[in-house]
Amino acid sequence: MVALESELPSYLEPRPATTADAIPIRLRRVGATPRQVLALSLIGALTLAVFASHDLASWLDRMGGSPALAPLQHAAARWDHAMASLGLGRPAEALRYFIQRLQDQDWPSAEK
Amino acid sequence: MLFPTSGFLLFFLLVAALMAALETRFTAKKAVLVVASYYFYAQWDWRFCFLLAFSTGLSFVGGLLIANTSQRDRQRWILGISVAVHLALLGTFKYLDFFVLSANQLANLLGLQHELPFIEVLLPVGISFFTFHGISYLTDVFRGDVGVTRNPLDMALYMSFFPQLVAGPIVRAAYFLPQLQREQREPIPLAPALLLILGGLFKKTIIANYLATGLVDPVFSAPTEYSAPDLLLAAYGYAVQIYCDFSAYSDMAIALAALVGFRFPANFNQPYRSQRLREFWQRWHISLSSWLRDYLYKPLGGNRNGRLATYRNLMITMLLGGIWHGAGWKFVAWGAMHGGGLAIERMLEPLIGRRARSPAAKLIATLVVFHFVCLAWIFFRAEDFEVARLFIAGLGHGWAEGVQQAKPFTVALIAIGLAGQFTPPGLFARVAEGLMRVPVWGLGATAGIIVAAIQALGPEGIAPFIYFRF
Repeated sequence: MVALESELPSYLEPRPATTADAIPIRLRRVGATPRQVLALSLIGALTLAVFASHDLASWLDRMGGSPALAPLQHAAARWDHAMASLGLGRPAEALRYFIQRLQDQDWPSAEK
Repeated sequence: MLFPTSGFLLFFLLVAALMAALETRFTAKKAVLVVASYYFYAQWDWRFCFLLAFSTGLSFVGGLLIANTSQRDRQRWILGISVAVHLALLGTFKYLDFFVLSANQLANLLGLQHELPFIEVLLPVGISFFTFHGISYLTDVFRGDVGVTRNPLDMALYMSFFPQLVAGPIVRAAYFLPQLQREQREPIPLAPALLLILGGLFKKTIIANYLATGLVDPVFSAPTEYSAPDLLLAAYGYAVQIYCDFSAYSDMAIALAALVGFRFPANFNQPYRSQRLREFWQRWHISLSSWLRDYLYKPLGGNRNGRLATYRNLMITMLLGGIWHGAGWKFVAWGAMHGGGLAIERMLEPLIGRRARSPAAKLIATLVVFHFVCLAWIFFRAEDFEVARLFIAGLGHGWAEGVQQAKPFTVALIAIGLAGQFTPPGLFARVAEGLMRVPVWGLGATAGIIVAAIQALGPEGIAPFIYFRF
């Protein structure tokens, strides 16, 4: 114990900060490892690439016309086309249509 | 590089992969995070990385000099000089042109012909935040609240850690540095972090962005062209927009820090449900308000030297808090309103008590505080004083004209944003606990689908976060 204490850096000794953690301690008892964080991020990114393939393609297009990017942009466009042909772009289209309709709604008095 | 973009997702995937690969090598992890943070910062302007490095070096050396000196007076001098250099940097980049403009206006008023030239220096993103980090560290070392760090890597990571680098929260040295000394080795709170990211995306992409483009920006750009109901709804809209924008960034920063193994303090806690202005500042941008309290209000004397001195200290603190937000008299006015409001509230405390008791009194107190905050936001958001004056004058007439700009959709967004202020405090924890039972692949797939849905529902492109410019 004495040996351990002598190894402790000086800045563990002073008063602890009293600021509250944003994520409370009871939600920290159960959790994941860094590998699980990576797995979750990869699965999330893959799902996103499936259902938001159009955004992926347009993001790559916005990065410019560098020759190094051209194969990636081409692949993303083909991927987007493939997802669209499977009908996986339809949920996003439906949501865009839905939000557009919501935005276009006017007050009843204005519609008369 | 904004959080809710594909570019950031790719960046984070790489960081997560390196964190997983370096699982037990804590020093290597910290080094990776420093490199990643500087890369993240360089995406705005690589030249500012030198400024960040200088600020880090200044804090590091200043801390060492304070720790290596036993004479209190000498320590005080070192602290004073280091803090002054930090503030000089901030002043040069953020306020120089404001001072030049103010001096020129004063010269015009006095009938002087000579005008000072503008420097037109580019404002480095996040300079206010990393300057406050540096000052916090030096002051904490001086006070003995935190031991000096002799490891430059720890200092570099404290100052540059990418989740909080450009828009906070302001993480105190005494809170963060101990986390760098020894790996926490606690489980990563995946479900709460994911919930914070998804909630943040929703608040920023849907609520804040649509309110900005559909209501707030058009009305604030030409307030004389809109009816009083539109103006009132735009004021409410901005209150919701700035909350959703800034708290979204904080939520995502907290979550990203958690995903790479670090804890951050809470920064927002349903501020618009406050029944006192003092309570509002305990719930709004908590990391800034507590910073101002501990490093400015208390050193000024706080409430220890009588009522008048307390009112003066409140006013000075909030005025400087206003100026911290930006170089402009409108921010001074915003700070003055809050400082004055806090002082008046203290004056009235013997009459109204520290807390409202009956439900009706609580409701009235909440409404009064919310409307006062909205009034102050008008100065904060308006282009200048004249626009703010026209906006407030417009609220006095034209009530029969009805709404022109505010649509049911934007009013619903305001209602959703305000309803979020009154949810039960334990709701987040309950939902997070429910998500903890979902396997990792399920969480990943669900998150991907929700993000895709939010992206589809949101407007084209992502507007920068409001607090980036501070």
